[in-house]
Amino acid sequence: MINSWKVARWEIKRNLKNKSFLISLIVTPLIFLLFITIPVLLSGIDNAESEPVKLYVKDEIGIWNEQIAAQLGDSDTWEIVLQPENEQAVMEELEENENVFYIVLTEQDVLEQGRMIVYTNEKSDEKLVQPLQFLEQPLQMKRLMDRGFSQAESEQILRGIKLDIVSVGKEGEASEEDTLPLRRIIPAAFAGLILFSVIITGTMIFQSASQEKKDKVAEMILSSVTPSQLMDGKIIGYFILGLIQVAVWISIALPVIQWRLNFNLITYLLVPETLLLLLFAIAGYFMFAALFVGLGATIEDISTSGNFQGIVFMLPWIPFILFGPVVHNPEGIVAQVASYVPITSPAIMIFRMAIMEEWPWVDIVISIVLLLLSIWLFMKLAGKIFKTGILMYGKNATPMEIWKWLRH
Amino acid sequence: MEKVLSVEGIGKKFRDVQAIRDIHFDVHAGEIMAILGPNGAGKSTTIRNIMGIIIPDEGTIRFHRSKDGSIPRDKIGYLPEERGLYKNVPIMDIILYFADLKNYPREKAKKRALMYLEKFDLAGKENKPIEQLSKGMAQKVQFIASIVHEPELLVLDEPFSGLDPVSQELFQEEIKKLADQGTAILLSSHQMNLVEALCDRLFMIYRGQKVIYDTIDEVKAKYANFKCTLKGHNDAEKLGKLPGVKQVEVQNDRTILYLDEGIQPATWLKSLPEDLDIKEMSMDRISLHEIFVRIATGRWEVDNLD
Repeated sequence: MINSWKVARWEIKRNLKNKSFLISLIVTPLIFLLFITIPVLLSGIDNAESEPVKLYVKDEIGIWNEQIAAQLGDSDTWEIVLQPENEQAVMEELEENENVFYIVLTEQDVLEQGRMIVYTNEKSDEKLVQPLQFLEQPLQMKRLMDRGFSQAESEQILRGIKLDIVSVGKEGEASEEDTLPLRRIIPAAFAGLILFSVIITGTMIFQSASQEKKDKVAEMILSSVTPSQLMDGKIIGYFILGLIQVAVWISIALPVIQWRLNFNLITYLLVPETLLLLLFAIAGYFMFAALFVGLGATIEDISTSGNFQGIVFMLPWIPFILFGPVVHNPEGIVAQVASYVPITSPAIMIFRMAIMEEWPWVDIVISIVLLLLSIWLFMKLAGKIFKTGILMYGKNATPMEIWKWLRH
Repeated sequence: MEKVLSVEGIGKKFRDVQAIRDIHFDVHAGEIMAILGPNGAGKSTTIRNIMGIIIPDEGTIRFHRSKDGSIPRDKIGYLPEERGLYKNVPIMDIILYFADLKNYPREKAKKRALMYLEKFDLAGKENKPIEQLSKGMAQKVQFIASIVHEPELLVLDEPFSGLDPVSQELFQEEIKKLADQGTAILLSSHQMNLVEALCDRLFMIYRGQKVIYDTIDEVKAKYANFKCTLKGHNDAEKLGKLPGVKQVEVQNDRTILYLDEGIQPATWLKSLPEDLDIKEMSMDRISLHEIFVRIATGRWEVDNLD
């Protein structure tokens, strides 16, 4: 065990001193944050540079100054000319210039026909006057009050009718409902992030084993440690690297998330559910790690064409294909089968636990038992493959050869 | 001398090929023991069996200083035939990692590593990664990594291959020094001249079986007959008829007379005719190299040797 720790420590140290690992460690969350913040910043720049929209308003019903002007706000966005004297000149300006609009509010149109005419030319961007949608409310009020309703009655009518579904259940549940999805989703997202990170470092085990073959270091190391100590050391080392990776990502992203979302993430994470979700993430890692370390030892050069080992890199991403059907029916046959198959179960179970209000406890127990059994089996098989594979120089192992090592 | 390692009748088969069979030898403290043989004779297979990297089908490998007889990993130094180290890691980190795996104290390892780096002309390069060094330099680093923890038994598989003559000499010196300090050394090679100059005993292997196992001097005495090299103008046919001459080989103005087994040089010299033209003359034994070539090319029957 001491030797396994030494190997683990070495793998961690070696990668933490490796420039490309360090760069990706820091750059990954930064890219993620850039993707979130850049569009917001860019749209800000765009707005700042745009010219104000020119609005001519002919108000015959006397509503603009009373109720609308105050709500329009920002004078940088709008340049308003109320009651233009020369309608002909306005029309000419409309024909020639972009982003000039002429709003006509007449008794005939607004109060009787229920419409508001906005003149513009073809080149103008119609989206610019979309914020004026809010005019509907005061104009409707005006129509109702003109027909003799009081202000209170008008407001009541305009509030409309809302569909409100109330489920009958135990008392006290209604107040928790608002926060419940977040209480499920945040721990699950955290577990998902850990699974994602350790699987990425897990694929590095494959490269590490394969590189040791290629660099021909394996034989010298194996004169000091046993193959199983070397294999265990790699699995532990890259697990810790994966956790370090998550820690760095979170410490970079957390302040930004707190600032943007304005709620305390940590309180959502410190719940017992997190532990169960983490169990799936960690179990997922050990299963894939066994696969990667075993098959990594069978291959000397991943870039050679025609090797089947490359396929294992795709296995961890299979659950993505299944997310659609699982969202559609989290208790359906696809979701259940994917929860039992060890390759897909960690990601699918975490996903199901995030979206389901009632956790499928039977599936959870079966899934964990199957996952633990498969880890035990995969580790055993990986050990057999690793022992022989790591010392085979000069060529990649064929499936037949691997089969033979397994039977030995 | 105290026995450190005993190989007792090991054999290994790969599929249908018997790679080695019935291999017996010992390695003692303070001696340099060579496994000699042409390519594919079974040298590396024997060594890998000793190192526990492959398990022999039959026979026993005994480490006398180990209490339970199992391989004492932290007391052995090993330089495999397949050379390589982590390419993008600084040299010192690699050496310290190997020392750590052997449970050797870090500070002591660092001191020794610096001492050897200086000795092998690599001073100041301890923070450079292997990929920035030449192949020969990398081999020196690997050699340092295999001896930094002061092993009791050092196993070197083809330590001289790929080295220039100056580095070869450096390696030889260091190996000799380690043996003088009491390290038991087992090395394999196909370079007879180096083995002849360096080793105390040898185990010659051919097609997976023992051919010769003895001290170098004994081997030479037993198998290497005398030869006489003459410089001068002489008739080769006439020389061939001299008593005790087995074979004559002419190289320009130099003639080599291969003598029969059991010839006493002093007696034979007296028997030479007086009219022989001698400008220079030397008398020595056939080198191990010649023995080796003859065995490897099948000119000597393996069964006749023992």
